[in-house]
Amino acid sequence: MLRVRGLTATYGEARVLQDVSLDVESGQVVTLVGRNGAGKTTLLRCLMGLHRSMEGTIELDDRDITRLSPHQRCRAGLGYVPDDRGIYASLNVEENLTLPPTVGPDAWSLEQVYEAFPVLADRRRQAGTHLSGGEQQMLSIARVLRMGSRLLLCDEPTEGLSPLLVQQIGDILRNVKAHGVTVLLIEQNVHFASTVADRHHLIAQGRLVESLDNAEVKEREHELLEYLGI
Amino acid sequence: MTTRLKAAGVAVTTLALCGTLAACGGAGGPSGGGGSISDDKIALGVITDLSGVYSELAGENAVAAVEMAVEDFKKEHGEDAITDKIEVTKADHQNKPEIANTAAREMYDRDGVDAIFDVPTSSAALAVATVANQNKKLYFNVGAATTELSGAQCNPYTYHYAYDTYMLANGTGKTVTEKGGKSWYIIYPDYAFGQDMNKSFTAAVEEAGGTIVKADPTPFPNDNFSTFMTKAPTLNPKPDVLGTMQAGGDLVNVVKQYNEFGLREKGVDLAVGLMFDTDIASIGVKPLAGTQFTTAWFWNLDDESREWADRFKEKTGVRPTFDQAANYSAATQYLEAIQRAETDKAEDVTKELDGYEFEDFFARNAKIRAEDHQVVHDAYLVQVKEEAEVEEDFDFTKLLETIPADEAFMSVEESACEMG
Amino acid sequence: MDGLLQQIFNGLVSGSFYALLALGLSVIFGMLGVVNFAHGAFYMLGAFGAFILLDSFGLSWWLALFVVPAVLGIVGMVLERTLVHRLVALDPLYNFLLTFGIALILQDLMRLRYGVQSQPFSRPELLDGSLNLGLFSYPKYQVFVLLFSIVISGLVWLVLTRTRVGMVVRAATERADLSQALGINVGRWVTPVFGFGIALAGLAGVLAAPMRAVNSSMGGDLIIVIFAVVVIGGLGSVFGSVTAGYVVGMLTAVGNFYLPALSQSLVFILMALVLLLRPAGLFGREEGVHA
Ligand SMILES: Nc1ncnc2c1ncn2[C@@H]1O[C@H](COP(=O)(O)OP(=O)(O)OP(=O)(O)O)[C@@H](O)[C@H]1O
Ligand SMILES: [Mg+2]
Repeated sequence: MLRVRGLTATYGEARVLQDVSLDVESGQVVTLVGRNGAGKTTLLRCLMGLHRSMEGTIELDDRDITRLSPHQRCRAGLGYVPDDRGIYASLNVEENLTLPPTVGPDAWSLEQVYEAFPVLADRRRQAGTHLSGGEQQMLSIARVLRMGSRLLLCDEPTEGLSPLLVQQIGDILRNVKAHGVTVLLIEQNVHFASTVADRHHLIAQGRLVESLDNAEVKEREHELLEYLGI
Repeated sequence: MTTRLKAAGVAVTTLALCGTLAACGGAGGPSGGGGSISDDKIALGVITDLSGVYSELAGENAVAAVEMAVEDFKKEHGEDAITDKIEVTKADHQNKPEIANTAAREMYDRDGVDAIFDVPTSSAALAVATVANQNKKLYFNVGAATTELSGAQCNPYTYHYAYDTYMLANGTGKTVTEKGGKSWYIIYPDYAFGQDMNKSFTAAVEEAGGTIVKADPTPFPNDNFSTFMTKAPTLNPKPDVLGTMQAGGDLVNVVKQYNEFGLREKGVDLAVGLMFDTDIASIGVKPLAGTQFTTAWFWNLDDESREWADRFKEKTGVRPTFDQAANYSAATQYLEAIQRAETDKAEDVTKELDGYEFEDFFARNAKIRAEDHQVVHDAYLVQVKEEAEVEEDFDFTKLLETIPADEAFMSVEESACEMG
Repeated sequence: MDGLLQQIFNGLVSGSFYALLALGLSVIFGMLGVVNFAHGAFYMLGAFGAFILLDSFGLSWWLALFVVPAVLGIVGMVLERTLVHRLVALDPLYNFLLTFGIALILQDLMRLRYGVQSQPFSRPELLDGSLNLGLFSYPKYQVFVLLFSIVISGLVWLVLTRTRVGMVVRAATERADLSQALGINVGRWVTPVFGFGIALAGLAGVLAAPMRAVNSSMGGDLIIVIFAVVVIGGLGSVFGSVTAGYVVGMLTAVGNFYLPALSQSLVFILMALVLLLRPAGLFGREEGVHA
């Protein structure tokens, strides 16, 4: 579904991504794992078209989207859940949900969203940033579901959340996957990652160094945790 | 985005600095003296505001007036003129003292200028007076109003022509008070000219037996005077007169808002410290009708003035302000003094000028005082006409009273000048 | 006490101009990330527009109230399409150079044509005289200005908060990049929003013509204060800039009343305080600022 070839990204002089090539199959949940500063966020921003100084090609369903602007990529089916959750303070909860256009046939209706996330229904008139961190994360994910995006790009959705909420996010992701949505997930918590994902890509100093399946992750969990410095 | 703002801020500062630095150019070497006419020519320099707020009441047309004086001098003396090589140069000082300073140095040192004229804005005029004194070359101030030029900061090379804050205050402040405007509320722009005007008006009003209920400095420039307009009638005691010392656009704002707030109906009359015909044109005669102010001259004062004003209009297309007329008069008196002295050497010319009594279309009963270099002459208390009385363009004012030369200006005894 | 109330009212009237100008400056900044130093010049053009319509075409001030902002709005859009949009990719310094340059050019053009003296302009007759407000009577025209600016600010507020267009503008103002990633074609909104901001500046100018001196420098003198207003209100915050506009107006009026010598600096003292204590402005949000 997603094919990335030879992606190189820079911040001024600094090269942050080096010749990254990556495939994500339709319906899969794939994680990117790596230390702080490895370049994970930058990779997602490149995919979304938000990071401009890059080379390489990005294809979505065999269509080259490298030259498309972010809003066109969004309409092509990419759903972005940024690392800061991207909730607008000047929009209320419902506006945060309904701001983006619907882009796919599987877009959730508002009712569906509120059914799945009752807390959002209760607080629909409040400013987006008045929600707690966990609630904002729900809202950010709910937003891309309402759009009906086919490929979700989620940047550390569990960061800073309580174990209970992490579990809830896990449920949501599994649910999403069951609906046939593809997910590219940045995740530091390798244990959690192995419970939701099919494959894991290890990224170090801007390069994809290894690709593991769940069994391998379990086997090498200690080694990975040590490597990630957790 | 904050970086974007910061960068913009830096840029503003940098630009402001560049402006200042550009004004700090170097000065050339001293000019050679000797002979009856230095450099075989007489050079007159006009430093004035060619682009800013005073560019219409002084500006290019002040230069034109000086050029007219040169032409008339040549015509008058023909073959007998001391020289027919008389030049006029000009410089724009943007009303900034540091630019005026540089321009004056360059004129005296590099261009061989023998006398500088005009220089509106008091701080700039004082800067030029200092340069004149250092270079031992003449300066005829016309455009600036500060009494310092012929007061504490007087010098043997600087003459003060046309008008000053004392004359304005003495004319308007005293007369209005004597006619019953006993208590005053003064508003003045918070810079040198305004503060000077406030001081002079306060003194004049009090001397005439009036009181200053309050004097408020206002921001400069300022487009909103509502605070002062609503304050005026609530002061205790209620003032009879609102005295505005604002000039140019600020004065327009004051008058517009004075009318908005209906102060005249509330019993607070308007007195204007300094006003030019150009200001009246901006505001319109109707809102100003009846307003009294003092002027050094106005173009349709009498036939002689009108005749000159007609010639001026032929040359420039507009009616002259008193600043422009005074520049003509000053340049003429300077050239005549050279003719009499048979040299343009400053010291000899001042000997001819000092104590000289004369009469021209601008300066009546005029005398160049030797003691402080104040040029005294009649001044005029005038009133803005009613709309129906206006007969032609710029026919705005009518004469109420002529203030005789020996009363119009500060007396020698009062002057703080000690000629060194 | 009456005195103070009246000063506050004075402040609200002058705040009306600040609010309209800051509102436009703020939406433009939010949406384009461009600080429009030419904003004051368009205020000046607005006043001149009213003058020219009346003087050369005999069109009344009431018509100018609609025609001038519309024309200037179009001029603004053309300007955005031809020049301003190029700024987005450039160093912020160009932002200053271009918009300040435009301001100087417009100012000089008007000066060349009309000189430095103010142009005569009088109040529409309908708004002559004063109105009894109970505690004090007040010039009718100025009451009109205040009400009109409140209505306009209110309408803008309604559009921004109650319509889809408004929601998109708010989102794009707060975080343009993120809004792009969420499928909003921010570029399509940029031109009309720029034009709208310019139209508001022009409207403020038309309102100013009958009560203020109409000359080429009238906007240049104002822009610094407006800039402070926007910083106080919070960059990119629409509600903040309108509120700060009225607050700064009142502050200056009350300052003029009690401390006339200081009143000029009060605005900037307030700005410094706000920057120290709440760098994002009274109503700004950190995210909004960095978007
Ligand atoms: N705006 C920027 N300017 C310059 N360098 C940056 C910028 N943003 C990130 N970097 C650098 O790029 C590298 C990759 O950053 P990135 O945010 O992609 O890492 P990450 O893997 O997402 O890290 P984290 O786990 O902390 O989120 C880091 O070394 C970081 O310092
Ligand atoms: Mg990251």
